[in-house]
Amino acid sequence: MSAHDANLAYVPTWCPGCGNFGIFNALKKAFAALELDLEQTVLVNGIGCSSKIGQYINCYRIETLHGRSLPVATGVKLANHGLTVIAEGGDGDGMGLGMGHFVHTARRNLDISYFIHNNQVYGLTKGQTSPTSEPGMFTKFTPPPVGNVERPVNIVDMAISLGASFVARAYTGNMDHLADMMAQAIRHRGFAVVDILQPCVSFNAVNTYAWYQQRVRSIPSSHDPSDREKAKALAGLWGDEIPVGVFLREKRPTFADSLPQLTDGPLTAQPLTGIDISELMEDLA
Amino acid sequence: MKSDFSCLFAGEAGYGVMSAGSTVAKAAGRNNLWAFVVNEYPSLIKGGLNTCLVRLAAAPLQAHEEAIDCLAVLSQEGLEQNYSRLQPGGCLIADVSLAVDSSRLAEGVRVYQQPLLQKGSGDVAKIMSNSAMLGAFCAVSGFPVDLIEAVLAGEFKPEVFEKNRLLLRAAYETASQQTAAAAFSLPFAPPPAKRMLLNGNDAIAMGALQAGCKFSAGYPMTPGSSVLTYLADNGPAFGLVFKQAEDEIAAINMLIGAGFAGVRAIGSTSGGGFALMAEALGFAALAEVPLVMVNAQRGGPSTGQPTRTAQADLAFVLNASQGEFLRIVVAPGDIEECFQETFRAFNLAEKYQLPVIILTDKYLADSAATHPFFQTEGLAVERGKLADAAWLAAHQPYKRYEFTPDGVSARALPGTGGGRHIATSYTHGEDGFYSSGNREYAGCEPEVTVRALDKLFAKEPPILEELEAVRLYGPETADLTMVVWGSTKGAALEAMELAKGAGISVNVLQVLYLSPFPAAAVAEILGRSTQTLLVEGNKTAQLGGLVRMHTGIHLANRYLKYDSRAFTPSQILLKIKEVLA
Ligand SMILES: Cc1ncc(C[n+]2csc(CCOP(=O)(O)OP(=O)(O)O)c2C)c(N)n1
Ligand code: SF4
Repeated sequence: MSAHDANLAYVPTWCPGCGNFGIFNALKKAFAALELDLEQTVLVNGIGCSSKIGQYINCYRIETLHGRSLPVATGVKLANHGLTVIAEGGDGDGMGLGMGHFVHTARRNLDISYFIHNNQVYGLTKGQTSPTSEPGMFTKFTPPPVGNVERPVNIVDMAISLGASFVARAYTGNMDHLADMMAQAIRHRGFAVVDILQPCVSFNAVNTYAWYQQRVRSIPSSHDPSDREKAKALAGLWGDEIPVGVFLREKRPTFADSLPQLTDGPLTAQPLTGIDISELMEDLA
Repeated sequence: MKSDFSCLFAGEAGYGVMSAGSTVAKAAGRNNLWAFVVNEYPSLIKGGLNTCLVRLAAAPLQAHEEAIDCLAVLSQEGLEQNYSRLQPGGCLIADVSLAVDSSRLAEGVRVYQQPLLQKGSGDVAKIMSNSAMLGAFCAVSGFPVDLIEAVLAGEFKPEVFEKNRLLLRAAYETASQQTAAAAFSLPFAPPPAKRMLLNGNDAIAMGALQAGCKFSAGYPMTPGSSVLTYLADNGPAFGLVFKQAEDEIAAINMLIGAGFAGVRAIGSTSGGGFALMAEALGFAALAEVPLVMVNAQRGGPSTGQPTRTAQADLAFVLNASQGEFLRIVVAPGDIEECFQETFRAFNLAEKYQLPVIILTDKYLADSAATHPFFQTEGLAVERGKLADAAWLAAHQPYKRYEFTPDGVSARALPGTGGGRHIATSYTHGEDGFYSSGNREYAGCEPEVTVRALDKLFAKEPPILEELEAVRLYGPETADLTMVVWGSTKGAALEAMELAKGAGISVNVLQVLYLSPFPAAAVAEILGRSTQTLLVEGNKTAQLGGLVRMHTGIHLANRYLKYDSRAFTPSQILLKIKEVLA
């Protein structure tokens, strides 16, 4: 499947210069690199500028409600664990409304990849604070002189703490690296989180391309991603240096692995007829 | 001779009054009688008054009566609250520690006291108390103790059974020496066929398994949870996966994901949980993903009364979620309908690609009745327009939401070649694309919007055509037509029989499907009625409002009950007489 094949006739409506373009291209590149069968791939989005990505990728897609991509992806994956399931959305979508689902999906270690377009602001609703906004940031909902007074959520640190078995960060300005992180995440068996740094050129005047360009640093090749403690320490870095790359990679049984009902193949392949409930009736006699 | 017999077992939570009741009901059901069992309990884990009412008769029962023939109590509170229900000539069995005020008892009530509460500590002593209570019950009422023993034998491990058996027999002997047993007037016999003892939630879960449901997700909320418990417990043997979700929002979205992927999925909750699911309900409708949801109503508003019944979520369930869309709402009235309509719900959800809500209440969900085994022959799975690879190959480019006369378009499941598409929560055109988010659509947005909404509602005529949405019981025409929905059916039908006995001709109109509303059928039946009586378990006459909205008919006579308890046949009979007076 070529990258081009993944494209649809619809032209993305993101603002010119938006970081979502880079993410979109990287995703197509990752799909092509993996030679993913797009008929067997389900992309699950939330709602937001970032979540529109599903409108332009030609696999099976479900564009859910704001914040609900992960439970929908969970349902898809449990129903048919043979599918490649990818969830995608913004930092508002995933860390605001969807935070509870993020916490519990990570705990479950389902074989789902989750790409968060982290622009540290709400784009589609025109520029409010997001759970990842920098303290002091001025937005429509946190105007001057006070600005944002809350501490930001560190997605990578959280994902590691909660039990995601693959955690990476990438920057939309480095498409090849991002595509590689995505491909590794999709290939990983387990819940794989990629925190994607994405400038919003319309509403985030702080975290710009120039800002990231100065700070983004590759994780040293000496880092052992199977070392949870080191991964946590690395995740704590945010400021003048922002590490990108694979923080954590762990081999663990997935949630679906522990379900005997799934050993005979996916639930979608089970017959709906020939079901005999007479034993259940006997139990109540 | 009385044609039925009711015994109320009462005691603190943990003392097994509910299992005492179901033991009697099972014993009766296995010996050609029919039981109806109503459990009442506060939302407490330890302590508080639990009661279990067992009503027995020689014919099937679908309701209870307040009046009781026998009261077996282990706590003073159980006694205080139920003096007045004990009928003249009835019997009272009480632990020796209780103070019985004979002046509060009806005439001829035989009082029998002996040690029932077992000494010692812990749950074992408590569970044993109910065996003693059952022994005394048999001696005093004349219910054959052998039948009880046979049920217990199947319920316990041998050592535990032996201990309970000794207690049962000892209590029976002691009581027998001091009382002449009233002859139990109902005839025991070997049953012609096996019967079950089950509640509405069991029946729903069994209907789901029979329908090929393979996935369930939920978050516990009384009285909806026991559907989930049943599926978690019995589902794996049928290949079903149950997932406890982090909350109701997650649960319904998991069900939608599973439905999109192509498995039959069911969720169950109560009003508060359903409220949290409201946004996703509209999502399922607009994305045309099949969804089956149970809302077992309890008292409200808000967290309301976890363990008490009500029929007050009808208006909410019919209107939950923003915007306008079509949903199917079915309110089974008894255990048979819980099973049959759940099976049908899965077919409807897939054939019409929309949400189906099964609306029950605590009374139906939680009350058990003796019931024949379900007939499963002839139940056919219908999956509607599912697009397979061959169909898709012949229909390229594939339009997931193609406009069709019946509003239903072929559904391709992920993994099927040629069926790639987007299912979205945004208003969309035939190919699934967003009406206003794409420049390509901007020019035709008003047209797309109208057609998209019309598509959802185009399903209404075929649904109305397919469903037998109303049921009329009794004579075609009568002096009075009762209008009911949901669990009220049982009491109404029995009230109809009571009325007949009193020389009053009554019939019952049950609205089984409340959405889409069967306006023509309701109007036709009500048009023939001389006098009507609306009977429903809420304050604002929600079905009455619907009838008026859809037919213009105002149901002026109303028996509305919102006191946290279900209707009884006798209560309804009084109203009928009042209306016809
Ligand atoms: C229940 C609900 N609340 C609010 C909204 C409005 N809304 C749409 S997108 C969005 C935030 C998007 O922010 P983010 O997820 O960070 O994505 P971005 O647009 O920045 O890519 C909000 C609040 C909604 N669609 N649904
Ligand atoms: S608002 Fe921001 S995130 Fe949204 S499209 Fe424009 S630049 Fe991108």
